[in-house]
Amino acid sequence: MDRLYYRITVEGEIGPRYAAAFRGMEIRAAHGATEITGPVIDQSQLHGLLDRIADLGLTLRSVTPMNTDT
Amino acid sequence: MQSFAIISGGLSQPRVDNDSPAPRAREPRAKRSGLQLSEAKLMLPRVQPGVVRRPRLFRSLDRGRAAALTLIDAPVGYGKTMLMRSWCSEHPTPVAWITLDEGDADPVRLWTYVASAIERVAEGLGRPVLRRLAVPGAPIEPTVDQLLNGLHTYARPLAIVLDDLHLLGSEPSFRSIGYALERLPENVRVLATTRTDPPLRLARLRARRGLSEIRAHELAFTVDEARELLVRREGIELTDEDLGLLVERTEGWPAGLYLAALWLRDLDDPREGVRAFAGSHRAVAEYLAGEVLESLAPDTKDFLLRTSVLGRFTPELCDAVLDRHDSAAVLAELRHSNVFIVALDGHGEWYRYHHLFGELLRLELAEARLAKPAALHRRAAAWYQGQGLVEDAIEHAAAAGDQPTVADLLAEHEVELFQSGRVAMFLSWIKRLPPELLLEHPSLPAFGVLAAGQLGRPAVELQQLLSVAERARETRPASWAPLLEAIVEVTRVAFLETDAAAAIEHARRAVTAAQADAMNTFTVAALASLSNALFFAGDLAQARTVALEAVERPEAPERPGGYVAALGLLAAIDAEQQRTASATAWARQAIAYAQETGQADLWPVALAHLALGSALASTGHLAEAEREAVRGERLRRTPQPTTAHAHALLVLAEVRAARSLPARAASDLERARAVIAELPDPGRLPALADRVQTMLDVEPARPERSPIEEPSEGELAVLRYLATDLSLREIGGQLYVSLNTIKTHTRELYRKLGVHSRAEAVTRAATLGLLEPPA
Repeated sequence: MDRLYYRITVEGEIGPRYAAAFRGMEIRAAHGATEITGPVIDQSQLHGLLDRIADLGLTLRSVTPMNTDT
Repeated sequence: MQSFAIISGGLSQPRVDNDSPAPRAREPRAKRSGLQLSEAKLMLPRVQPGVVRRPRLFRSLDRGRAAALTLIDAPVGYGKTMLMRSWCSEHPTPVAWITLDEGDADPVRLWTYVASAIERVAEGLGRPVLRRLAVPGAPIEPTVDQLLNGLHTYARPLAIVLDDLHLLGSEPSFRSIGYALERLPENVRVLATTRTDPPLRLARLRARRGLSEIRAHELAFTVDEARELLVRREGIELTDEDLGLLVERTEGWPAGLYLAALWLRDLDDPREGVRAFAGSHRAVAEYLAGEVLESLAPDTKDFLLRTSVLGRFTPELCDAVLDRHDSAAVLAELRHSNVFIVALDGHGEWYRYHHLFGELLRLELAEARLAKPAALHRRAAAWYQGQGLVEDAIEHAAAAGDQPTVADLLAEHEVELFQSGRVAMFLSWIKRLPPELLLEHPSLPAFGVLAAGQLGRPAVELQQLLSVAERARETRPASWAPLLEAIVEVTRVAFLETDAAAAIEHARRAVTAAQADAMNTFTVAALASLSNALFFAGDLAQARTVALEAVERPEAPERPGGYVAALGLLAAIDAEQQRTASATAWARQAIAYAQETGQADLWPVALAHLALGSALASTGHLAEAEREAVRGERLRRTPQPTTAHAHALLVLAEVRAARSLPARAASDLERARAVIAELPDPGRLPALADRVQTMLDVEPARPERSPIEEPSEGELAVLRYLATDLSLREIGGQLYVSLNTIKTHTRELYRKLGVHSRAEAVTRAATLGLLEPPA
């Protein structure tokens, strides 16, 4: 089964508090930005994630689909 | 499933007579019998003492005064609501304020609140609209029109504020707002705060009356405004260099600056704080929120975290949820010192948290594991239930994952929910419940069927709900009230509309069940359904008896859908049996009543229009007859083939034939036959179609002019020869008369036929049937 993976990049490095809002995703914070990477079931879930990011006052930088082996 | 409109009447509010001398004393303004409104949604937030006044933005808002829509469009934390609120307090224009939430995705609920808010500002404008909104299944646009007309007549300036427009998230709601904006009277202005660009036709708005926008870059704080906040208001000792750093790092994000204010004012060395913050690469929101939360006293922190699960709250609610007695004091204190706690106007002392702040608190609650949110939601649900705020109670019970409570609440308040037009919400809640709960509360799937029918859901969905309802009937016969039986049986009739015998059977069962219900909630509707079934089966005598029974029932005027349907049936039966005067009377009564009860655009009144069309055609009022028949057919038009639509087309064809429009009549007849061909059991419709066909054959295309002067024998003789290629002289030879005589006859013929040439004369004569077929 094909799994969707996405890497969402936001402005600023996030810490443990905000990381808790993205359970199930890998968080990598460095150089003034954070990469949130992980599996996404479908478009609805992806948009849910983006809404969450907006709700937390984070600034979106990019949304990139990934291959599973990256 | 338009038949459901018949049974909408069963649960409508009793008619409120606006001219009656003794108004319903119990009802305070802007409340309705049925569901209580959440007053908090209509309250303006109180102006916070700590909020910086921003005159430059007020000027922007003023500049947009001619625009129909002013959008304040920016992400969370840009001070949109506060700006809106401050501006309102300085502006003389009366404001109808509505704080939107996800529930307003249902247009009925949205406009209920809008109308209520307007009612508070302009008495009498909202009330008629509110009544109309309570009619289930009513299309929203005519209702919006009514509101707009009222606003136009009001003529004085009025502002409608929609806070958090992005939460609407639904096509129908946005569509209705777009519709309103395009027809907004000059004296009204809509201002909306939103986080995302709304799906409205903004380009069209710009072209028409203008759209005014204030976006993030304008809402960002300038260094001067930051100085006003941090140095002058909060008394934090910062230099201009510090302020510059702060504004740069936060990019002027107001929430960031207010968080910074909360944090820095308690620090011994705020300048150091600013430098550390400016030097870090951390996300602004999390960094500052973290600092603020850390600096809170434990008791305050506890209070904030636990109450963060509540959307809106009063001190009483907080006390109930936290098991305290001092929430009022805590909140009053907090409100003064913390700009993120928003107090709402009014005596009820409602509060809420700023969205971002609430979000941060909830995250912290999850991390701190102070308390299980579910437990908090449960207490909130109980409190709301005690207050009679059913919708909030259900939301919190659902948030607590407490589905049995949700089911209990829905079952207890189902009638109220229906009476207040919350049909869509009811259905969406039902659909989230597990089957076991639906079987335990048989009224839920039954009312779910009713809701789905009224909302025009696809047949598949109705069938599913119907199956659950029928299973519930089997497993819990003791809880299966006659009312539910009536609903299920009337639904079956709607499904089996085209199987005449079965439809009658189920309708009879529905009547029996409805009559067993003490309140007679569905009796009129069930009788109307039965009459309808009999009518289409061809038993007009019985259909008439049953329809009469329906209209003569004492509660009939309070059952709008069923009443209109029954009146329409009486009209149709009388029209078909040539009792023209009686048919006209019934039809006009039905149409008038439908107007009064907001059902003018609904299915049940269609038959009345059709009957009126037939009756008027019989008395020669052909233009009006066609208008009525057209209206009736339009109301019965459906994508899938139905008996009712085929019938409507036949009536229309008949009326058009009478009006000498054979081409159109033939086309209507053809469409009718096409629909009939797809019906499994067309009953008596084919016979009716044949009757119309006969009418069309007997009345050939009449000439546009009035009947001609009869040609004489001699002229007719010449006419027949004109159709040949003999010259006039040769014709004279054939008839043994002179050329002159032929010319005289020809001239006379041309005059009588109204033509100017031989060819024209021949064509005309042929049309009039004056030429005999060639020997």
